[in-house]
Amino acid sequence: MLVLTRKIHQSIVIGDAIEVVVLEVRGEQVRLGIRAPKDVAVHRKEIYDQILEENKGAAEVRPEDVPD
Amino acid sequence: MKIQGTRFATIEYEADDIIALPDGLVGFPRSRRFLIVNNKEGSPFRWLQSIEEPHLAFLVTEPSKFGLAYTPEFPDKVAEALDLEPTTPALMFTTAAIPPGLPHDLTLNLAAPIVINALTRTGMQVVLEDPAYTMRHRVFDEKSPQGAGAAA
Repeated sequence: MLVLTRKIHQSIVIGDAIEVVVLEVRGEQVRLGIRAPKDVAVHRKEIYDQILEENKGAAEVRPEDVPD
Repeated sequence: MKIQGTRFATIEYEADDIIALPDGLVGFPRSRRFLIVNNKEGSPFRWLQSIEEPHLAFLVTEPSKFGLAYTPEFPDKVAEALDLEPTTPALMFTTAAIPPGLPHDLTLNLAAPIVINALTRTGMQVVLEDPAYTMRHRVFDEKSPQGAGAAA
């Protein structure tokens, strides 16, 4: 993993089109601003993981278990 | 055109039947084109059958079929991305998960509906920021597993 140190209002760019800015640091919380093209989905990781789990759950349903 | 899904017999379809989800579903980026297949006559459930990956089909439903008042507000970018005007006919499904052998443990993911513009037949899975919508909404009462025929 690439590790970079940034100060408030500094940013990193990923490729040509994505920028992540550090907006605020308060105790254990960091606020980030993200500029990305519309077709790039940005999710909080834990939310993404949960949706992935539910999508998998829907893809693994056995037809015989589906109620009428 | 035909597709041989693993859950269904051969499905015949026309180009007009295809639903495009250009971003795929979260975690399944390789499938971008789907068919909506009824589970059974009169069933509240449908399958979102992938065309690219015939083994892949997601169980989906409309929460209103289970008596849920479900009219979430979407972020503006959703209407923009899907060309949705207030009058555009749209479909909205949620994924439905059922653990093997436990149909009464059916849950709906109300936090990430699949919204489809019915005119362009293009859709996306939307992540709602509203904590009122849970990812595992239980449909049936845990104490009465036999009440599984509750589709209204």
